[in-house]
Amino acid sequence: MSDSISLGVDSNTAARASELQKEQLSARYRKVDRMFAVLLVVQYLAGIVAALIVSPYAWAGKERVLHMHVWVAILAGAGIALLPVILAIFRPGTVLTRHVIAASQMLSSALLIHLSGGRIETHFHVFGSLAFLAFYLDWKVIMTATVVVAADHFARGIFWPESVYGVANAEWWRFLEHAAWVVFEDIFLIWSCILGNRELAGAAARQAEVEYLSEQEQLKSAALEMALAEMQATA
Amino acid sequence: MTPRVPLIRATIVVAALVWTATIGAAFSAIRRFETTPGAAAKTGPSWPDASTVPRQRGEWSLVMLVHPHCSCSRASVQELEAILEKSPSVQPYVLVYRPADFQAGWERGAVLDAASRLRRAKVIIDENGREAKRFGGFTSGQTLLYDRQGRLRFAGGITSLRGHSGINSGRVDVIRIASSGIGTGEHPVFGCAIDKKGTK
Repeated sequence: MSDSISLGVDSNTAARASELQKEQLSARYRKVDRMFAVLLVVQYLAGIVAALIVSPYAWAGKERVLHMHVWVAILAGAGIALLPVILAIFRPGTVLTRHVIAASQMLSSALLIHLSGGRIETHFHVFGSLAFLAFYLDWKVIMTATVVVAADHFARGIFWPESVYGVANAEWWRFLEHAAWVVFEDIFLIWSCILGNRELAGAAARQAEVEYLSEQEQLKSAALEMALAEMQATA
Repeated sequence: MTPRVPLIRATIVVAALVWTATIGAAFSAIRRFETTPGAAAKTGPSWPDASTVPRQRGEWSLVMLVHPHCSCSRASVQELEAILEKSPSVQPYVLVYRPADFQAGWERGAVLDAASRLRRAKVIIDENGREAKRFGGFTSGQTLLYDRQGRLRFAGGITSLRGHSGINSGRVDVIRIASSGIGTGEHPVFGCAIDKKGTK
């Protein structure tokens, strides 16, 4: 008898814990989606400001025209940010939204690197972005971002090696060396995502248990009150 | 289904198309812009007689033409610095374009500052690009290397792309020629036009 009650309690609590974990993750996904929507807009504006500071005009003698980089920052920057921001507003918390955000964030890194004239310091944006993406606690998002970085380096390494490695005759496998540094960070971020999920699951299980115990206490109190009422009525 | 749902779906589809098209278009536009060189110099086989640049006879001389507001030329000056470190026998001259009808100080900026910091370099303000014309150059970043006898040994740019610093065959050629005294070299030049003829 007691065994069957115990089993029922465990499965109910486990189901409730799973429900709580899903709720918490969903709330987290939505919150991080909103954070990235803001970040993508801020990066877009920062890209335009960077282009206006670093290379505002192209010159021909004493005549000047708006530099190509400014147009790229305005148009390409808007194009990159548009879809993830719209998804974050209208489809927050979905798998598609966070993967599009991850890809767009990496494309923003590529754009900022380009606008800064390939400055090595701007490459830190990639590593910072990966750390921000880990806020999702979804390791698959980090994989998407890594694939985009590796694909960008691979494609540019084949068709336009100077733009990414600074030399025209870079080895075809050079993108693997760059990707390896990203993977180095990924290992720890993915680990932290798994740990974070475990902690979340633990907290959800504890909350479900507390809820169950509190419910049981309420039932006991109600039964006690009923018994007392009956005793008073018969006395 | 509320009436807003189809509208939201359509917005997402349009945004997805714009996103995909942007990635392709931006990649292609940037690539075309950065890999398209400026007009190459039409320079003679030796140091131009009409030039007023005070060449030291018996020394290797390097002339770089720059537009002071060409953002790409910061990379050229950076590359020149790398060349000078490896080529102590080369005397560099940086000719900075300035239109005569523009107010004094127009040429000040990051390119002039960087050029002024170069060791050994003589920075010369080139009014209306007169000297650039004598050297036959049209594009900012154009670099010309002359040997001890004043013969042209290298003509071209010393960056791999527009505004990209880093090791490249132009820089390598200049260092190799100046250190060995052997051979000649050419390389595409990437930068803004000093003269309208430099506009492609």
